[in-house]
Amino acid sequence: MADAFLSDVKVLELGDEKGELCGKLFAGAGADVIKLEPPGGGSSRLNAPFYHDQPDPARSLYFWHYNVGKRGVTLDIAARQAKGVLEKLIARSDVVIDSLPLDTLAGLGLDWPALQKLNPRLIYLLLTPFGRSGPWRDYKANDLIHLALGGPMMCCGYDPKPDGTYDTPPIAPQMWHAYQIACNQAFIAAVGALIGRETHGNGELIDVPIHQAVAVSTEVDVPIWIYSKKPVHRQTGRHAVQRISPQAQFQTKDGRYSMLLLGITPRESASLIEFLTEKGFGAELNEKFKDSASRRGPEFNACLNRALTQCMGAFGLEEIWKEAAARRISWAAIRLPEENLTDEHWRMRQTFARVEHPELGETFDYVGAPTLAEDCPWRTGPRAPLPGEHNREIYGSQLGLSAAQIEELARNGII
Amino acid sequence: MLDLTWVLAGGGGPRLLDALGAEAIRIEWRDRLDTLRLAGPFVGPEPDQSKPRGPADPPVNVNRSGIFNDINSGKRAISLNMTQPKGREVFKRLVAVADVVVDSFTSETMRNWGLGYDVLKSIKPDIIYLQQSGWGYKGVYSGFGSYGPVAQAISGLTEESGLPPPYPPAGWGYSYMDWSGAYYCAIMMLLAVYHKKRTGKGQYIDGSQLEPSIYLTGTAVLDYSVNGRHWKRSGNRAIARPQAPHGTYRCAGEDRWIAIAVTSEEEWGALAAEMGNPSWTADQRFRTMAARVANQDELDRLVGAWTADQEPFALQDRLQKAGVPAGVCQTAEDRVERDPQLRHLNWLIPLPHPEIGIWPIKNVPFHFTNAQVDQGGPLGRAAPCYGQDNDYVYGEMLGMTAQEQAELRAQGII
Repeated sequence: MADAFLSDVKVLELGDEKGELCGKLFAGAGADVIKLEPPGGGSSRLNAPFYHDQPDPARSLYFWHYNVGKRGVTLDIAARQAKGVLEKLIARSDVVIDSLPLDTLAGLGLDWPALQKLNPRLIYLLLTPFGRSGPWRDYKANDLIHLALGGPMMCCGYDPKPDGTYDTPPIAPQMWHAYQIACNQAFIAAVGALIGRETHGNGELIDVPIHQAVAVSTEVDVPIWIYSKKPVHRQTGRHAVQRISPQAQFQTKDGRYSMLLLGITPRESASLIEFLTEKGFGAELNEKFKDSASRRGPEFNACLNRALTQCMGAFGLEEIWKEAAARRISWAAIRLPEENLTDEHWRMRQTFARVEHPELGETFDYVGAPTLAEDCPWRTGPRAPLPGEHNREIYGSQLGLSAAQIEELARNGII
Repeated sequence: MLDLTWVLAGGGGPRLLDALGAEAIRIEWRDRLDTLRLAGPFVGPEPDQSKPRGPADPPVNVNRSGIFNDINSGKRAISLNMTQPKGREVFKRLVAVADVVVDSFTSETMRNWGLGYDVLKSIKPDIIYLQQSGWGYKGVYSGFGSYGPVAQAISGLTEESGLPPPYPPAGWGYSYMDWSGAYYCAIMMLLAVYHKKRTGKGQYIDGSQLEPSIYLTGTAVLDYSVNGRHWKRSGNRAIARPQAPHGTYRCAGEDRWIAIAVTSEEEWGALAAEMGNPSWTADQRFRTMAARVANQDELDRLVGAWTADQEPFALQDRLQKAGVPAGVCQTAEDRVERDPQLRHLNWLIPLPHPEIGIWPIKNVPFHFTNAQVDQGGPLGRAAPCYGQDNDYVYGEMLGMTAQEQAELRAQGII
């Protein structure tokens, strides 16, 4: 088997959807990740969409996507007979990811000092909604609430009306970004701690409050407030800034949208006008704005907007953006995610992966690697575990429980 | 770490490693400065590139950008003219004492300078080289450039955000893929450093801003692959479970909104009680979760009518006390000036800068118990001035004499 970044790292994942991308990143980087769920399966198995729209704990595409590459065990961690098993699992782990409700492990007698006693080299990564203390510690949240409180929503949405007021709400971009933002940063912290452990040998407790992780991940709104005490205003498909900027999305001939990032550099603006001219939409621009110094201000913007509207409207979504991009114009098709599956660029880079589902006798396309590392290839698969699929393998051969002990745990509904 | 990154998608990656204790050395040259050095808001006077300069002097006032100060916090900086052969020779001396080289140029730049991975490896056999370009080096679009909005458009992140047609996609009101691109830049460097600690081997990584964007598009690709279903936007509504009300509701004040997400019958009961159990809540159309989901448009109108004249933060606290998930759509001002939880978590830390003084910098959101980890890094400072660490890097690290440095300065190399 090819080398992997984290081939010697063992991870135990406890909790729900809040921490699943973090475990998925570990699995992709080659770590051995065990996802622990309550008997019957965890709550994220109830998330849509489902295979052929059949709600079933083994058929949640949400669960498949965020748990690919992990092995799965079930355990009722609150049960008295479970504690020894849980302790064995923790003792063999390099990293424990914990997104259980606050203080769950501590309530089972497994607070940080106890965990350290079990495993002095343990890296214990806590994903908490708001942190382990503070006035909002016990506030309830989900992805939407985090995107509201953390700031992304007030930056995202549609243009105000001409009078500056809004008749559309702030928008939360879909697809679990609050959890993704937090898990990306939690993973960074955990790998940092693994590197530190190579030097000093010690474990670490790391708390990643999702609210804080989201709040630091917007872009210019916070520095603009800190340095100039000015608000920003949300705008359709472009940056929330102090002033309303020129339109950036245009409808294509086939009723889709393309985007154009205007004038990052003067060279890019010049290339754009040249390109529009070649396509037959530059006459007015060339006539009215001959020299580059005149190419600014509202009249120029309006003229450019007319040319872009006409040009984009004359071509289909995929027809000309590549030609423009090859000239370093920031022109891009607004694709549906699945439209990338057939793109030759991603095929060459193996950005998507085929994953087998032997239980269904089928194979599906998954989003695969976030990067191309040929010496340590990213791993996508095997498919996410069925509830308790690896109980026997892990409790038996890896923790050393006898067949009779496993049988008894199963009989008592502990696993 | 030799940091040849630009703006945020690149520059944010080394920033995170600094917070974890690495030493990032930013390499800059005055003729092609990072656009963030020239982007406001500024503290004091703006940059002026028109002033006459000597062979190696930077433009006036390039150390005063607030955004640059935040994104490059904790780093060192040197000036080095990589466009000159002599500058590239100096760079090679730096490679010999580095662990990691990272750049976010377009994909041919380093090769054109004769600084591809094979060359870096011949200087330092265990070097880690992360090339964090827009689209990646391998592939048919390697020459294309990318900014956050481009990555978001192509990947599908833009299309996934917004209200259903006839509305167009709302997309992202900032470069989501700049910070997220930076996270994957940091992730790949850290993974390679860990791997090197264990095996002694360096490596080359062909990274991009586009692929992490695709990685973050959630379940849409699988839904297509399995069910043949194309993605459809649904605003702020719940997509994974039948849950309603689930959305944003207008409050008192200008452009003030609260997000409310009722995820269970119990939470619905609590919300109805807070609303004073108006008779419509007992209506057939709203009695069960399934019924509320089926009648969401009307439900949203009724909930919105109730929130419309209420102060948003008082409403948030009241609903949370009643056990209803709710949160104000917070602005930057709300987060910086008021949010008591962010304050409790010390999300901004004061860090010094030699020209603009002490400013609050966004801290990393990971709280370590044993190790000292914060955004000041080992140096305990905000962003570097242009060329601030030339003496340390060229003198102490490379052992150049003062005379050698003076000559390079006179030749326009450092």
